[in-house]
Amino acid sequence: MGVRETSAQVLDRMRASGYDKAYCNVADQELHELQSEDGDIKLMRTAFETDVSMTGIIEHKRGSIGINTTDRGSVDDALESLRQMTNAAQPDEANDIAEHTPAAQFTSGPSEPDYDAMYDRIMELQEHVATNYPTVNLRSTSITFGKTSTSRVNSNGVDLLEEQGAYSVSVQFSAKDGEATSSMNYTGYSTHVLDVPIAQKNDVDQLIAQSVEQMHTKNIPGKFTGDLIVSPHCLSTFTGFLMGKISDSAMIDGTSIYRGQLKELVADPSLTIRCCPLSDNLTAGYHTYGTGFVAQDTTVVENGLLQTFMLSQFGANKLGMARAVNGGGCTIIEPGDSSLEDMIKNVAEGIFINRFSGGRPNDQGEFSGIAKNSYYIKDGEIQFPIRETTISGNLAASLKNITAISRERLNSGASNVPWVQIRGITAS
Amino acid sequence: MQTDIDLKRFSNQFTSYTELRLQENRSEGIGFLNGDMISNSKSAAGGISARVFDKGAWGFSCGAELSDDSISRTIQMATKNAAFLSSRSGRDGAVLPPATGHGDSDFTRTGPALSQEEKIAFLKKLDNYIVRNCPEVKSRSLNMSCLDMEKQLFTSDGAGGHNITTRSIIMIRLTTENDQGQPVELFSGIGERGQFEDVFSDSSEVEATIDKLYNKLLDKKNAARPEAGHHDVILDSDLAGILAHEAIGHTTEGDIVKAGSVAGDYLGQQVASELVTMVDFANTWHGETLPVPVYLDDEGVQSEDVTIIENGILKGFMHNKETATHFNTSVTGNARAYQYHDEPLVRMRNTAILPGTSKLDDMIASIDNGYYLMNWTNGQADSTSEFMFGVQMGYEIKDGKLGRAVSDTTISGIAFELLKDVSMLSDEMVWNCSGMCGKKQPLPVGMGGPAVKTKVFIGGQ
Repeated sequence: MGVRETSAQVLDRMRASGYDKAYCNVADQELHELQSEDGDIKLMRTAFETDVSMTGIIEHKRGSIGINTTDRGSVDDALESLRQMTNAAQPDEANDIAEHTPAAQFTSGPSEPDYDAMYDRIMELQEHVATNYPTVNLRSTSITFGKTSTSRVNSNGVDLLEEQGAYSVSVQFSAKDGEATSSMNYTGYSTHVLDVPIAQKNDVDQLIAQSVEQMHTKNIPGKFTGDLIVSPHCLSTFTGFLMGKISDSAMIDGTSIYRGQLKELVADPSLTIRCCPLSDNLTAGYHTYGTGFVAQDTTVVENGLLQTFMLSQFGANKLGMARAVNGGGCTIIEPGDSSLEDMIKNVAEGIFINRFSGGRPNDQGEFSGIAKNSYYIKDGEIQFPIRETTISGNLAASLKNITAISRERLNSGASNVPWVQIRGITAS
Repeated sequence: MQTDIDLKRFSNQFTSYTELRLQENRSEGIGFLNGDMISNSKSAAGGISARVFDKGAWGFSCGAELSDDSISRTIQMATKNAAFLSSRSGRDGAVLPPATGHGDSDFTRTGPALSQEEKIAFLKKLDNYIVRNCPEVKSRSLNMSCLDMEKQLFTSDGAGGHNITTRSIIMIRLTTENDQGQPVELFSGIGERGQFEDVFSDSSEVEATIDKLYNKLLDKKNAARPEAGHHDVILDSDLAGILAHEAIGHTTEGDIVKAGSVAGDYLGQQVASELVTMVDFANTWHGETLPVPVYLDDEGVQSEDVTIIENGILKGFMHNKETATHFNTSVTGNARAYQYHDEPLVRMRNTAILPGTSKLDDMIASIDNGYYLMNWTNGQADSTSEFMFGVQMGYEIKDGKLGRAVSDTTISGIAFELLKDVSMLSDEMVWNCSGMCGKKQPLPVGMGGPAVKTKVFIGGQ
């Protein structure tokens, strides 16, 4: 039985159980994976998974349950448990499911894995690294092909089917020569086709090359307040604070510093952030989400002005505000007008940061943490890879202190973002 | 899910080393935010997995269906996958060490199950307690999460067992406002091994935790920022646990050592003060069953304690069958998988720095100018042993006495250097059960330790 037939049957039984509102999501997933460890392909995985999620609302009381089998007995048990949970819940008029939308089907990406390409791309990367970077250890490389069919149906007449296929590639590496050891680094991307060597995607070759340099790090000369050039690999640390604080939890509990800031300046006017799950340029996008919504692209920050909060339906109902038109992620940041090279030249003293290992920022956005796999910049030139360097500042202020955005961007399939220069960061 | 299937029946289908694992993870969550219920959910995900080793390569397959045909197909697919890999590259015919471990355990409740109404009422009672007793709290949340992991294993070596591990946690978050009207937050988890009914049989322990958290929140309300730089510090016992797990533990996992961790260069060397002994316990310490008891790992190895550091000397690493073979040493029973569809990795179990003989008050009195740091938020470490932990609050220490509260910060450094600076360890051992390690797969871990006096770098302006 296909996911659509299964979800329809489960929904019928939920309706018969007397729910005021009911939602069911059935997803079949096939995973095909090759994993390499320490430069040797070690594991081949084939997995078949099914997820059945049910949400029921009675008299504004809500419960949700998930199982991974579709046989009648398991579904019956789950429905009985869901009924008990829903009856026991606290009512809240904000509980709801997606409104009616015309039935639709969406398809993206390939439907079958190319095992030869998966194998050859990993072997090619291993040979590339062994030849060009003999001190680098490819600790873990994996290519996973995932194919998912998801049916979302609800008692408002929603009937959505989405079929997605994509490869996820991840690479983790470090360098070691004698007792000299680099910090571990990693990256990854999503793609529909394995037509390009892994080393040429998402800065992989550059990051691996940097690992060799990073076996020999130095402390910065002393504490200073200067510029930070944030690479696309860790830009989400800075934009993620804003995205988190305009979402449900912080907005509902009132601790968000962005409450009341709609259409206000929350970042430098050079910054425009979009969430674009429908973008043809992002292979990790999606068309459906939540309890049966059809996703739309949205602009979160335009020229520094906050354009929308990222509230779920529950959060929006709770606050009497508009819900976000997608489920988040798929970040696209508009490019700037500087070259990365010029941005570096304009730094009197600063840090080029590739990875950030930091504590949880407080509600005001104050943060501190270590700049990993990063470099010291002085008088417009990158000087040396750094060690034990803490950076600190305020994440909300950082977005207002952007001084340049690069023309170049990095597309990981899940995001397409540039390098960003921020002033006023303390390094020690 | 049916968990009483006789897996031995399928052994005639094994053509090389094979692990057959039947597993179900069951979780529950109930959440309240400012008195409103924001989550009320359950999930169960289970199935069968087979992992086959053929000339140095692994094949893995899994499925949720548990019919005989489906289990046979899973074994055949894993065997085929291993054969595909072993045929594609020159393999040396590596052989894994045999293991015939057996172990059964069951940490499900001993009494009757509570209904959903009763669990929700328990949370609601706690929420009302906060409203009544914490007048300066502006925002509050309570999130209960319970996880049961049931595993049945059979391997072609004849190892096997049936183990059910459980844990239940309530995360409490309180927020007030400082004099400038800005939110000030503090959170903490309470819970331990066991199901909800056993762990939360009485609300008074949770209420005591709320009281302590609230008092600290009031201290933090107008806390000073700590001064950035290297300082003498007392790390509270909860920080010692994450230091053990995150900063040292990961560098001594066999696969990380194989990949080039600095710890690989230090075996047999003095890496810490002679006061420091650190152990990854399998399941028991001083007769007490630990937060994440592992008796049989997911490769069928009887789990053993691993002494990582003894009196400051780096003594050993944690291993699965492959890394033990690589380093020509014994297996330790550290191979663990999170879900039925995950392969076992080298993972910690209950990692702790053992307590010393000092009293916490004496430790504080021994510092002229420093900090007492507590309540970690998150932690990360590196194969270089460079670490970072987020810290929610602490207190200044001036002339041997606790002073003003200090606000959120991070501490960082090189773990093996920090351990050399350890000069006092308190005589109490505190275990933390809320850890969820994120090495490729999430996995519950236990962490423990005493209060530690050392030197550390504190971040900040």
